[in-house]
Amino acid sequence: MDTTRRGFLSAIGKVTIGAAASVAGAAGAAEAATAEGHVAHWGMVVDLRKCIGCQACTVACIMENAVPEDAFRTHVSVYELVKDGQDPAMVMLPRLCNHCDDPPCLPVCPVEATFKAENGEVLVDASKCVGCAYCVQACPYDARFINHETQVADKCTFCFHRTQAGLLPACVETCVGGARNFGDLNDPESEVSKMLTENEVSVLRPEMHTNPNVYYIGLDEVLEGRVAGEAAYHPEMADHGEAH
Amino acid sequence: MDVQVHELVGAVHEAAWLPWAVQYFFLIAISATALLMALPGFAFGREEALPRARLALMTAVTTGITAPIALLADLHQPARFWEFFVYTHTSSWMAWGAWIVPSYVVFTLGFAWALHRPAFFAMGQENWRFAWLFRWLSLGGPSNGFAPLLGGLAGVAALGILTYTGVEVMVVRARPLWNTPLLPLQFAATGFVGALGVMLVLERMLSRDGALEAALNRRLVFALCVVAGLGAIWLTVAKSGLSPAHSQALASVAGFTIWKEIAFWGAAAIAVPLLLGLIAPRHTGWATGLIAIHAAWMFRWTVFMGGQAVPKVGSGLYDALLPTGVAGLMGVIGTFGLWVFLLVVYTTFLPWTEAGLPERSHCAPRPARSV
Repeated sequence: MDTTRRGFLSAIGKVTIGAAASVAGAAGAAEAATAEGHVAHWGMVVDLRKCIGCQACTVACIMENAVPEDAFRTHVSVYELVKDGQDPAMVMLPRLCNHCDDPPCLPVCPVEATFKAENGEVLVDASKCVGCAYCVQACPYDARFINHETQVADKCTFCFHRTQAGLLPACVETCVGGARNFGDLNDPESEVSKMLTENEVSVLRPEMHTNPNVYYIGLDEVLEGRVAGEAAYHPEMADHGEAH
Repeated sequence: MDVQVHELVGAVHEAAWLPWAVQYFFLIAISATALLMALPGFAFGREEALPRARLALMTAVTTGITAPIALLADLHQPARFWEFFVYTHTSSWMAWGAWIVPSYVVFTLGFAWALHRPAFFAMGQENWRFAWLFRWLSLGGPSNGFAPLLGGLAGVAALGILTYTGVEVMVVRARPLWNTPLLPLQFAATGFVGALGVMLVLERMLSRDGALEAALNRRLVFALCVVAGLGAIWLTVAKSGLSPAHSQALASVAGFTIWKEIAFWGAAAIAVPLLLGLIAPRHTGWATGLIAIHAAWMFRWTVFMGGQAVPKVGSGLYDALLPTGVAGLMGVIGTFGLWVFLLVVYTTFLPWTEAGLPERSHCAPRPARSV
C-alpha cells in the first residue's frame, strides 16, 4: 500500500500507464488486506525527520472531519530544544489518537459507546455516547475532547470513512513532507511494516502500556511523556506564576 | 544532559468535567456520610443521638436529591441518561455508579419517609387544610417498623457511593493527581468534614443547642484529624518515593506557584476549624461549620478542576481556577441554590423535629395545626 501522497501519486502514474490495477492504491491494499481472511491492522508511522510543522495535517483534518473551532483531532506540537547549551533545535511532534490495542478509554465508557473496530481503529458510536467525558479523562494522550456541536466524545478515527473507501486518512494525504505514513501493520510487505523494521521507532507514553499503533521515528525521549518545559503562551496562563 | 524545552505551539485542552461534577462529588459525599451518621440514632435505636440524627437526615436527604441533578447537568447529553441502564458496561465504575446512585437516593428517601410516616399519618388525621396531602403521604398508616431495614439498605448504598465515587476517579491513570490509592479515603474523610460542617450550620440556624454544637464540633475535630493524617501520609509516601503513584502526583504539580498557594490554603482550611473546634467547641459552630464546608468543597474543586489543569502531554498548566468562566460559576451557584431551596422546603413542610425511633414516634406529641 502506498502510504504517503507521493507514493499515492506514483501509484496513479503506474495505473495510468498500465491501466490495469486499481487507481486507489489504498483501495487495492484494502482489498488485499481482506483477502484470504487477512484482516488489516491500521497503524501510522510518523517520520519526525520529515515533519516541517506546517500544520497542513491539522487543517486537512479539520476540513475533512468538520472539527469545531475550539478543538483538534490532530495537531503538530512545536518545541524548541536546547541541549547542553548548544544551539536551539526546532522539533515537531504530530499528535493524534494512538488507536491503542489496549485503549484506556474503552473500559471506562459506561455505555460501550467506545469500541475497537475490526481494523484496530478506536471509534465512538456517537448515537450512543452520553457525553460523560470519562473517556476524555482516561486518554493519556489528550487525544479526545467533547465536541460542543454534537455534545459527544470526539477523536481521530484514522479517517474511517476514507479508509473504508480505500483512501488514505486526510492528514496522511496532505502531509507535505511525507512524514505521516499509514498502512497495514499486519502486512509485513506494507510500507509501514518495513519502516518499523528498518528504523528505530518509539511510541508516546510507553509507561502507560497502551500498545499504541502510532509510531515515531526520531522522537526525542524528552518529548515521549508529559513535556516538562515552558508552555506556549495562552492568555489564561498568564497569571499562574509558573516556577518551571 | 541538561535539556531546556520551550513549547512554541501547543493545544489547550479544556476541562471536560465541569463545575457541576465538583458539585456532584461534593454533595453526594456529604449525603452519604450524613446518612451514615443518621443511622445510629434512627436505625439502631439510640434515642440520645436523635437531635444529631435529625440534622444528619436532613443533610442526607437534601444533598442526596441535589447531587444527581448536578451530575445530570454535567452530562453533555443528559437526555440519554437512560442508556446507562440499557448498555451497562461492567468494566466501568461509572456504569456501576449509575445503578448505585438511584438505589441510594431511593433507599434514603424511603428511609426518611418511613421515619416521618407516623407524623404524616397523625397530621393527616387532623382537621386542617392540607390533611389530605399528609394522608396521601402516609399511605394510609403510621407503621414504620420497616425503617431499620430501609436504613440498612441506604447505609449499604451509601458505602457503595463512597466506594464508587472514589475508585471511579482513582482508576484514571492518565491523571497522576487522581491516580492515587489514598484518594477514595480522602474523598470519604472530607465528605464527613463537609457533612458535619453542614450539620453545624443547620444546628446554629435551627436548634441553637450548645451541647449539640459541642458534640458536632468534637466529631468535626476528629474528622479533620483524619483528613490531616491522610494528607500527611500522602505527602510522606509521595516525597519518600514509597508509592510511585503518589510521587508522580506530587511531581505533576510541584513547582507551580499556584499549587503551593492551593496547598497552603487547603492546610489552613483544615487547621483553623480544627483548632477552633478543639479550643472552643461551643459558640464556634458558624465558623467551624462554614470553613468545614469550604474545605470539603475546595478539596474536590482542587482535585477535579486543578487535576484537569495539568496537561497530560503538553507543558505548563491550563486555567486551574475557573476554567468555565461565568457559566461555571453560575452552575455552582445554581446547584447551591437548589440545595438551599430543598432545605427550606424540608424545614417548612416536613415535621422533621418529630422524626423519631421507628414504631415509637407516632405517639409523640405534635404542635397543633390550624391552617
